[in-house]
Amino acid sequence: MNEYALGQGLWEMGFAAAVPFTLVALSAMAVLLADLWLLPSQKRALPWAALAGVLLSAASVAFLWNEEATGFGGAIRLDRFSAFFAMVFLLGTGLVVLLSSAYARREGVERGEYYALLLFGTSGAMLMASAVELVTFFLGLEILSVSLYVLSGFFRQRPASAEAAAKYFILGAFASAFLLYGIALFYGASGSTTYAALRESFGSAAFPYSHGLLALAASGLLLIGLAFKLGAVPFHMWVPDTYEGAPTTITAYMSVVSKAAAAAAFIRVFGASLSSLQQDTSAVLWVLAVVTMTLGNVVAIAQTNIKRMLAYSSIAHAGYLLVALTAAGEAGYSSVLFYVLAYVFMTLGAFGVVSLVRKGEGGADAGAEALDISHYSGLAGRHGLLAAAMAVFMVSLSGIPPTAGFFAKFYVFSAAVRAGEVGLAIIGVLNSLVSVYFYMRIVFLMYMKEETVPVRGSRSRAGWVALAACVLGTLLLGVLPSSFARLATESIASIF
Amino acid sequence: MNWSELLSAPLAFKMLAAAAVVFAIGAVALKNVFHCALSLAAMFFALSGVFVLLDADFLAVVQILVYVGAIVVLMIFAIVLTERITSASVRQTNYLVIPGVLLCIALLAGLVSVIRASSWPSLESGPQQDTIKIIGRQLLSTHVEAFEVASVLLLAALVGAVFLGKEITRK
Amino acid sequence: MELPVLSLVTFIPLVGAIVVLLMSSENEKAVKATSTVFSGISFVFSVVLMVAYNRAIPDFQFVERASWIPQINVWYYVGVDGISITMVFLTALLSFMSVIGSFGIKDRVKQYFALFLLLQTAMTGVFVALDFFLFYVFWEAMLVPMYFLIGIWGGPRREYAAIKFFLYTLLGSVAILLAILAMYFSTTPHTFDIVELGKTHPFAPGLQMILFLALFLGFAIKVPVFPFHTWLPDAHVEAPTAISVILAGVLLKMGTYGIFRISYPILPDAARDFAPFLAVLAVINIVYGALVAMGQKDLKKLVAYSSVSHMGYVLLGLAAMTPTAMNGAMLQMFAHGIITGSLFLLVGVIYDRAHHRDIDGFGGLAVQLPIYTGIMSLACFASLGLPGLAGFIAEFMTFVGAFPVFKTIVMISAVGIVITAGYFLWTLQRMFLGKPQEKYAGFPDLSARELVTLVPLQVLTVFIGVYPWLIIDFMNSSMESLSHFLRGV
Repeated sequence: MNEYALGQGLWEMGFAAAVPFTLVALSAMAVLLADLWLLPSQKRALPWAALAGVLLSAASVAFLWNEEATGFGGAIRLDRFSAFFAMVFLLGTGLVVLLSSAYARREGVERGEYYALLLFGTSGAMLMASAVELVTFFLGLEILSVSLYVLSGFFRQRPASAEAAAKYFILGAFASAFLLYGIALFYGASGSTTYAALRESFGSAAFPYSHGLLALAASGLLLIGLAFKLGAVPFHMWVPDTYEGAPTTITAYMSVVSKAAAAAAFIRVFGASLSSLQQDTSAVLWVLAVVTMTLGNVVAIAQTNIKRMLAYSSIAHAGYLLVALTAAGEAGYSSVLFYVLAYVFMTLGAFGVVSLVRKGEGGADAGAEALDISHYSGLAGRHGLLAAAMAVFMVSLSGIPPTAGFFAKFYVFSAAVRAGEVGLAIIGVLNSLVSVYFYMRIVFLMYMKEETVPVRGSRSRAGWVALAACVLGTLLLGVLPSSFARLATESIASIF
Repeated sequence: MNWSELLSAPLAFKMLAAAAVVFAIGAVALKNVFHCALSLAAMFFALSGVFVLLDADFLAVVQILVYVGAIVVLMIFAIVLTERITSASVRQTNYLVIPGVLLCIALLAGLVSVIRASSWPSLESGPQQDTIKIIGRQLLSTHVEAFEVASVLLLAALVGAVFLGKEITRK
Repeated sequence: MELPVLSLVTFIPLVGAIVVLLMSSENEKAVKATSTVFSGISFVFSVVLMVAYNRAIPDFQFVERASWIPQINVWYYVGVDGISITMVFLTALLSFMSVIGSFGIKDRVKQYFALFLLLQTAMTGVFVALDFFLFYVFWEAMLVPMYFLIGIWGGPRREYAAIKFFLYTLLGSVAILLAILAMYFSTTPHTFDIVELGKTHPFAPGLQMILFLALFLGFAIKVPVFPFHTWLPDAHVEAPTAISVILAGVLLKMGTYGIFRISYPILPDAARDFAPFLAVLAVINIVYGALVAMGQKDLKKLVAYSSVSHMGYVLLGLAAMTPTAMNGAMLQMFAHGIITGSLFLLVGVIYDRAHHRDIDGFGGLAVQLPIYTGIMSLACFASLGLPGLAGFIAEFMTFVGAFPVFKTIVMISAVGIVITAGYFLWTLQRMFLGKPQEKYAGFPDLSARELVTLVPLQVLTVFIGVYPWLIIDFMNSSMESLSHFLRGV
């Protein structure tokens, strides 16, 4: 077989579907290998190597943008939907890598493993979004989870980081067990693990389990596993502790990539394949959405640590995502996609600012991370640009126009109203009203209070580039949302 | 499956299943870590017996080779080599033990009732004789990519484990 | 190609804000000059708008329409009619005056002017938007700069005032948002088009009632209608002078503007059912606001509560729905904007000198500050409704127009006029008459800059008082067609 024929053969096997994923996984390995050869003084090249991997994979996604392919013997699929999510994950990872380049060095964790695991995690997330078969999806989920377990415990000397990792690991393993049990029940009922088979079996009236207890139990168990990854109440217990203890850049990564991956998998499984069960799942999701939004927002008010506050805020945002998932339909799901994209910019931006702010001279622990909310007092006076960026993210997170957060929420709530869930939309809107209080409190402290503890902002160029990208994205999605909304709609249309 | 079928299942199956559950509880509830590890090993043995009765001979062997032969043995090594753990007895419960047990019982009852209520489609073909060959062929043909993906998972886990396990050098 | 005048009026301040942000914060003079220039250009275009506007037709003019978010049928759709054109002019005028009036700002000058220009764009946007989504975006976008302007440059209790203003208004906005969504989804095809909805007003009476209440909550907080008024004294008192001017002169008008523009044309049945209730709220505003104003010792608070009272007249005119009453209400919106705007400027002037605003602490200022006293008296007389000045015409038209509809209510409201006259005269007496005090002896009278901000407003007050047709002519045809439509004539 000559080279051309080999290429042709691979292509026909649907190898295209695996290219973005493979490139990310390979660059993870490349980073690991590079780490072996680099002298300690050359370690600053690591983030750039990782970034190169991300860009390479993004280029491949762009190249394959209009392709459709099924690979892995029918286990993964490349379509606009997976391409969209691949781009979201790569964007998130790229920004996190940029933010990490200064953060990791300062915290003494600038190691090959750090970047390699980030890339492995991304490859897992991409697999979750492109899988059309339950076992492959599960593999993706585990790749992402294992990477995150380790990354959240990356500060090995700090008890808080170890606690973060341990909690996440134990609860995550537990959630995976539920998920597997659900997969087993689906397999038992339909004799196959592919989404297509699920759709065919559960969609047909003749199928004995299409509406029985079994279908409910199996979806319920699967739902628990996904709700855990999403950080939905009551499966959110790990979120505050893990978010607080993990390295800040990893927290940012977790809140964005892992949530988006869970949402993607949810849409593929429940939206595209098990739509016959939609009435039952919507009832459950309705309750989950309400308690998740409400608990997240209410508890966030009482927080004094900024990472914990953002953790509860991320729970609340999982609630808004659940509102969109409850609404279902093409409108509901495309609003999820838009929301995820908006969320990448504003949340990564907010965590990015947190990762760049440190305690200044004079204190006993100068140079340590400034994580108390009170440290943000008077930030505007000393670091006008950082404070302005943070203000943009806070305004966007509270959903005030003209920012990405506003249009994202608007999209979600209007999808809910369209689906007849007016009550849910009202609860959601009221919740976002509550959230204004704690987001604007940060703005209030930054601009209207005097400095209490001296803080200083990092001068990392890469970090600033990432923040600038986040600010731009946040404003762009707010002012000109239409092309992104079209992208979201097209992506959803490609899987229905 | 209904109760009469369950009653008519081979006695050995029921005994092995029950033993697996008892040892599994032991693995999390015993107060001595060493005993826990042993109980875990016993649970794996019982489980592989269940696999044997289900004609899954390959799984049964893998279960013993990997889990008992490698994992539990490693755990026991770790326990024995760590000072003061072997003889210590640790309380394994906290104030949430009763709600936890109740929740587990509810989940169990729910799942049992679901499984009982459904009549499962049985495989048309009879028990396979040569499962190793079939599994091997499947893994290296239809599922070869998924098999490779699993290696990414293992690699990530390996990297993580090595990193977390490395000695912390204090400067 | 025709010049997009409305977009220019709206977005030139935004361009100015960006330019200011890019300037060095060291060069405060340049920042102030740039802001004045951009706000001034916007003002000039608003004058162009007034001149070119055809007053004979009640339809929308200077319409610009471009698709913005086609997926959900959102348009960039702006235009003015008789209801909004005077408000656009008022906004441009008061913003321009306030920019000049803000030259005294010393702290973080660059940020102040950037935020102020941002605010101007958002305010103008509210008055020109003809698409619900666009309207809402401007409505909300106004909040953030306002929050900063009160919270950073305000008085001692600025933080409390800022967050209270923010949360109150946001609560109202949320109700508006839900109403907008409900309207969007109950029309086929789904539309955010305010003009279209005003023509077809397609909602069933029951739904209209719910929508009206939701919208009213949002607008009532802005006006503010009793009992949603408690944010107002805090915000007005703590805000820096120029921002108080904007708050009283422009922001309060948005509430009643919303009722004119949205609630009335789109929800006519609910509006008719709701009118008596609105009239009752109006009389509460008028009398209660006046009574509370009378009890104030702080001059700025007094002016703030007088706004509550004066906005009551607007509500009364709205409730009556006759052409005369609605013209009166509209004129009152304009007149109150310039009169209360100047009052707040004047309060700022004396506060800059005396560093307090305690009415009883002054006395005999007429001798020391003759020009100030003259202008202050003019503004107070205008505010209490002296014939020949702008406030009188507006109130008189409102009462005449409303009398046939709500006799008792108008009679009770007249009490408000008496009280208003009482507290303004009493204030003038305490501040300016009596024995001159030593400590105020060295005070300089109005500076040239202060005169530049104050005199145009006074001239306008007198001019409208003598020749009200100048403003009424713009709104009359729109008001008549709206009134006829509402009363089913």
